[in-house]
Amino acid sequence: MQPTKDSFYVALRDRLVATDPSRTVTLDGATRPAIAVMENEPPSGAPLLCDTFYLHWGNARPASAPPANLMTIDCTVSYCTKGSVQNGSLDRGRDLAALDNDLLAICSPPQTPKNDYSSGSPVALGSTIFWTQPVLNAAKNTPPYVGREITITVFFYPEVNQS
Amino acid sequence: MADQQLGMIPGQGCAIARFADALLRSVGGAQVTLRLSDPATGDTGSQLGLEAPTAEDMQVSPAVIKALAPEADGRRRIEVVLSATSLRAIAKNYGVEDVAAWLLSMQGVLQYGGVMRIASVTVDEFHGKECLYHLTATE
Repeated sequence: MQPTKDSFYVALRDRLVATDPSRTVTLDGATRPAIAVMENEPPSGAPLLCDTFYLHWGNARPASAPPANLMTIDCTVSYCTKGSVQNGSLDRGRDLAALDNDLLAICSPPQTPKNDYSSGSPVALGSTIFWTQPVLNAAKNTPPYVGREITITVFFYPEVNQS
Repeated sequence: MADQQLGMIPGQGCAIARFADALLRSVGGAQVTLRLSDPATGDTGSQLGLEAPTAEDMQVSPAVIKALAPEADGRRRIEVVLSATSLRAIAKNYGVEDVAAWLLSMQGVLQYGGVMRIASVTVDEFHGKECLYHLTATE
């Protein structure tokens, strides 16, 4: 399962770099693409940052009855923005639209090769993971913030001898 | 009325900060250890949680540690009151301006033989001068 989670994140991160290279964030003193997996970040009381995609891994379950072993795992992508100070946060809707556009762009095509990153460098596992297209549900409006939580279902075949 | 005519006395904020430090010392002047993560490398390994972040411990005094009512699940909670004077001097060495945000980004407070995560930070400010930081930390 871990290669699926890692491959999904790396695919989205690399696509974000290609789609919108200016969308970066400083996390733990390092500037990086503005996408992060919550469970991989240090546990701290610091609030989540605006204009950053946060991936939260959820339920995993079989996608089909045995003997097929296709599995699914839910990934919630949350992001928010408060617009810019110079515009009095009036542009937060436009900023949310830009985030929406970036999310749709990085989720397509909805597949990527599965790699094992446990050694530090990618090792191809010879299979592909694929996922549902994100559906942009109603935005959560908590002035001055506006944001979304989107759930994507990722399909994968568990690897033998892989966690 | 007299206060309005005189306005704020220059340095009054500093005097209150010194008073706050004296107050902390008078109630024990304990020392607390805060664990600070070093900057991440930012490479794929750190983003995937494969590289444990290095950390350093720093001692801050004077401080007061107060046990709070535990969480509903039994986890212990403490409140740590820290001298803003001491903390700002340390923060300056790290080039930190927003001390409250810096505290929230730390790994936590070393207490009860472990690291307690800093859940919230509040600041007491008098006459424009930060005097005390209150941290709430949870197991």
